[in-house]
Amino acid sequence: MKTRVLRYALLGAVLVSVIYLALGFGSRSFEAYCPFGGMEALWGLFQTREFTCALGPLNLSMFLAVLGLAFVAKKAFCGWACPIGFLSELAARLGGLFRKGARRPGPRLNERLKLLRYAALVVSLYFTYRLGELVLRGFDPFYIIFSGFGHGTLGWITYATLGVLVLGSLAVPMFFCRYLCPLGATLDPFSRLGFVKIVRNRELCTACGDCGAACPHDIRPQEMDAVRSRDCTNCLECVDACPEKGSLTLRATL
Amino acid sequence: MNVPRFFLPVLVIAALFGGYALRTSFTQPTAQASFGGEGSETLVCTVEGLKCKGTAGFFMKLYEGRPGIASIETFATEHRAVFTYDPSLVTPSDIRAIMEAPIPLRDGREVQVFRCAEMD
Ligand code: SF4
Ligand code: SF4
Repeated sequence: MKTRVLRYALLGAVLVSVIYLALGFGSRSFEAYCPFGGMEALWGLFQTREFTCALGPLNLSMFLAVLGLAFVAKKAFCGWACPIGFLSELAARLGGLFRKGARRPGPRLNERLKLLRYAALVVSLYFTYRLGELVLRGFDPFYIIFSGFGHGTLGWITYATLGVLVLGSLAVPMFFCRYLCPLGATLDPFSRLGFVKIVRNRELCTACGDCGAACPHDIRPQEMDAVRSRDCTNCLECVDACPEKGSLTLRATL
Repeated sequence: MNVPRFFLPVLVIAALFGGYALRTSFTQPTAQASFGGEGSETLVCTVEGLKCKGTAGFFMKLYEGRPGIASIETFATEHRAVFTYDPSLVTPSDIRAIMEAPIPLRDGREVQVFRCAEMD
């Protein structure tokens, strides 16, 4: 069975659960489950032992769980559970961006643009910590989509933000995850250390490049002995795409 | 060591449920206030309309200067308020009536902002 079927089943289940909460069923808002909310709550907790704005203990515990997960299995949360990651991937499939030969940003430009996610992290934490409110909700696709442009969104600015994200996702696979996600930026150092990763067997590999072409994050497993990249979500698309059985495997290794 | 593929979804599900289970270890109020005085009884209310720090602050203002309310802790994501009160000065139904009282708007209309869905 292709791993993608299993992965999409889990991603679909999480997406349906978030929609269920967003429609007002369940005892908490969908926002209460957002792991990045835990990061945003830290300063308020440190200062006053109170949660900021609409954040609560579940945000913090989810954040710690996702950090722990990254330490073990890199950004598996992004590839296997995040609803925004899932929608981004569906948009990329719609845009035909995973076809062999599809145009992608060059490696240097890609690396430079990835720095934007650290800027997004700094800006979101600065304003949240400074003002004690979730003032950037109007720029957060998770909030915009699932609240249905709810309280705190910013009219045409929010429409424009979502428009840019949709167009970006149709042009570059995983546009938001690659370049703008502050949670992704937070997970980066833990993901780098993650010890469950893809390992390549040089003897079996024919360097055909199918794995690199299938990777949503433009990682090139064909050039590595083990995928240590902070961007790897352990989605296993590369393993599924590899025509040489046993050439790419999932292993626990330092 | 080789890791089977199904390990990943199992690990992700374990992390999500683990995160959910861990939430009780981090319970802290969204906002809290002490109004002085002694409170010998505790009342826990599930409050519709209690959604964030802003609404929690507004909610607690309703009880400022009310006799018998010693302190309030609000937990916005759980929509919960915990009162300590002096039963000789105020009763649970008084506490409920205060939160459910209609609030006058500038244009003369009145709205009910909070509703007590459950009391314990
Ligand atoms: S797809 Fe498999 S055989 Fe081809 S380069 Fe990647 S690891 Fe090597
Ligand atoms: S390297 Fe493989 S497992 Fe990692 S993100 Fe790319 S396709 Fe997914």
